[in-house]
Amino acid sequence: MTKHSLSAHQLSAGYADTIILEGLDFQVPPGQITVIVGANACGKSTLLRTMSRLLPPRHGQVLLDGKSIHRTAPRQLAQVLGLLPQSPIAPEGITVADLVSRGRHPHHGMISRWGRKDDEAVAQALEATNIVELAERPVDELSGGQRQRVWIAMALAQQTQVLLLDEPTTFLDISHQVEVLDLLIDLNQQRGTTIVMVLHDLNLAARYADHLVAMAGGRIFASGPPADVLTEANVRHVFGLESRVIADPTSGRPIMLPLGRHRMAKTG
Amino acid sequence: MSMASVDIVAAGRIRRVRRRARVVLALLALLVTGFALTLMLGQSFTPPGDVIRVLMGHDVPGATFTVGQLRLPRAVLAVLAGLSFGLGGAAFQIMLRNPLASPDIIGISSGASAAAVFAIVVLRLDGAAVSIFAVAAGLGVALTIYGLSWRNGVAGARLILVGIGVSAMLDSFISYVLVRAPAWDLQEAMRWLTGSVNGARLGQSLPILISLLIFGGLLMSRSRDLQALRLGDDSAAALGTHVTRTRVMVIIAAVGLIAVATAVTGPIAFVAFLSAPIAARIFGSEGSLLIPAALVGAVLVLAGDYVGQFLLPSRYPVGVVTGALGAPYLIFLIVRAHRSGA
Repeated sequence: MTKHSLSAHQLSAGYADTIILEGLDFQVPPGQITVIVGANACGKSTLLRTMSRLLPPRHGQVLLDGKSIHRTAPRQLAQVLGLLPQSPIAPEGITVADLVSRGRHPHHGMISRWGRKDDEAVAQALEATNIVELAERPVDELSGGQRQRVWIAMALAQQTQVLLLDEPTTFLDISHQVEVLDLLIDLNQQRGTTIVMVLHDLNLAARYADHLVAMAGGRIFASGPPADVLTEANVRHVFGLESRVIADPTSGRPIMLPLGRHRMAKTG
Repeated sequence: MSMASVDIVAAGRIRRVRRRARVVLALLALLVTGFALTLMLGQSFTPPGDVIRVLMGHDVPGATFTVGQLRLPRAVLAVLAGLSFGLGGAAFQIMLRNPLASPDIIGISSGASAAAVFAIVVLRLDGAAVSIFAVAAGLGVALTIYGLSWRNGVAGARLILVGIGVSAMLDSFISYVLVRAPAWDLQEAMRWLTGSVNGARLGQSLPILISLLIFGGLLMSRSRDLQALRLGDDSAAALGTHVTRTRVMVIIAAVGLIAVATAVTGPIAFVAFLSAPIAARIFGSEGSLLIPAALVGAVLVLAGDYVGQFLLPSRYPVGVVTGALGAPYLIFLIVRAHRSGA
């Protein structure tokens, strides 16, 4: 399986008259899970949007296999690079199978017909996300966790080698968050898909990332293995928060415990 | 992956495709039946045999005039205008993901109508020149409301409110031109304010037919990308859709359809607004709504005109009937949108 290389060079981007990213360099490790963390408005989502062609850069470029993605035909790019945006919209009354099959969009031109291969891609995506039995249900009737799995299934049906996800666990309770992240690890291990996602929860980020990226002020402040990035000094710099970082007794990964101002003394 | 789940997916897809085909065929059958009935039924009844002979060019005493000169041009115009309004309305509603974003609500139909009435009454133009005037004005209005509601991207709600304002201004312009017109005539005034197919001639349908072929074809060629836009701009882009290019093409096509038809019939009230929601009720949200909405539009205009002519105590233009149908739905939508805070 070919591993695609995705990287950003001297990237600046923003909206209207605010520049959010400034001269950022970022190399996505192929075949690994990269998680981006950072305080609100540090440019995490902007980075993901610029790297997936949703936002044109002011300066610099994003390269996929050495070619600028902003000069690649959208459909061609969408066959290699997938993105699950923060708030996708489900048309009223659409069924799960129908929505998931929209993921096949970039594989069809104006005249090519739907074939067995497309049905297989959709079935595979439904199985991977464990929603085969929901196939004919309207998406409106599903719970938040189920719905998020449907959106991930749509991104899987796109069968891209690189998948970007903007906060795939927001609005989910903790068990569903873990379920979604486990699913992404399966995908990474079974298909070698390169995954880049933005997560809010630092401990889940450290737990699931191969490569952890901490952003601050529109730049990458620290990146590397979670144990090197999730440190008390970095948390202080990136989030302005005093904390303790200890090792998770199960996984050995770092866990961050915020200190705050209250209830710090042990009480009986 | 197990065979069972592939079969579930394939079976579901085939079921959707069949259901879609059944609905389209049923709507088509309804339209054809309606068309045939309006040729036979009027103030007098013309037997089907006579209608067919007139259509084949034979001279049938009595029928040649009523069917050939009155009913046929009227029915053809009603169907073509209805198809145009249905398509154009659905395109806007799907693209902006809001049923209120219909061209007859946000001022595009009023713009085309104002331009047509100005071209006819003041400039004394006719035929293709009026259509071109109407299309240009329609695009001008689209550009204006897009520009006025632009603030880091276009939000649907802002665009709709701006459009309603622009629409009100254009309607008062139409009234002004009509009142100042030398040959002020109630029938004509009704046409430019609510839409009418009165006094139809077969030649009037030609520009609409051409516009359906060109703009309708352009729209259908963008149908897949329009489907992707329903998932949100970001998702559509992530699926490889060229969002801006799709928007521009859809706007040109939809404005063209609406404006050319409006230049002949006036803005037949609420047909663009009602067609896609009615089609969605019957059709479900699977697949593209464009063709079902076009068929619903044609049925609405044809049936609305028949009701206005023959089933009410006095004769009304079709726009009065469709307007009476559309207004309650508009109120319902606004109340619902207000409740959900959207």
